[in-house]
Amino acid sequence: MLSKAVIILASFTAPEQVGMNAKTMLWMLPLAAAIAGIYKAVKLHEITLKSFLKEAAVLFASIVVFIIAAAAALSLITYLATE
Amino acid sequence: MQAPCKKIADTNHSLLLLITAGLGWAIPGAGYWFIGQYKRAIIVFVTITLTFTIGIYVGSIGVIDSVTATPGILGRINPWFLAQVLNSAFVFLISNITASGGYPVYGKPEEIGQLYTSISGLLNLLCIINCVYAAHTRYFSVGAEDRC
Repeated sequence: MLSKAVIILASFTAPEQVGMNAKTMLWMLPLAAAIAGIYKAVKLHEITLKSFLKEAAVLFASIVVFIIAAAAALSLITYLATE
Repeated sequence: MQAPCKKIADTNHSLLLLITAGLGWAIPGAGYWFIGQYKRAIIVFVTITLTFTIGIYVGSIGVIDSVTATPGILGRINPWFLAQVLNSAFVFLISNITASGGYPVYGKPEEIGQLYTSISGLLNLLCIINCVYAAHTRYFSVGAEDRC
């Protein structure tokens, strides 16, 4: 039990390996979920499980779609500027 | 479970708001718990703690660095640290551990770790402000006695 606790704590003392590829973009998903969850927890007048999950999911999807659209627009601008 | 309205309403207004903000800073969500909003408190606690934990897992505790090597507008204070410290008073403890410089982190892990820990801190600031406002409107606005 103690050795497991030490192993878990030790994993916080060395950084993880994060590559420089397209999969790195997936790190935005937990952050977007956290932002959506906190924002809806603050904004909703009455919190029920169903309404909270629904509202947070809609906001999460909106954030992700907007980021993808922004990335696509920036890629297009870069492509046009460098061609 | 009802919040202790009478007891709270008898307390000094500013003191109550300060206690609410202080609790919200010490433990994410504790401010909401203090004013009786238990569901909100649980959501805030879980989300902030999880986001912060992911940040220090990816970047290691090395991302909590209070001092920067290159002095800027804030002198030697690391601007990221100002956002990180909003998570909890616990962050000061981590910064004391990392002050020796024994936990170097660079590149993507540092970026992701700093983003996660700083954004969770800023989200906690949003919660603290909202919680203090909720405490104010609940106990000190017109008709507050009816809501207790």
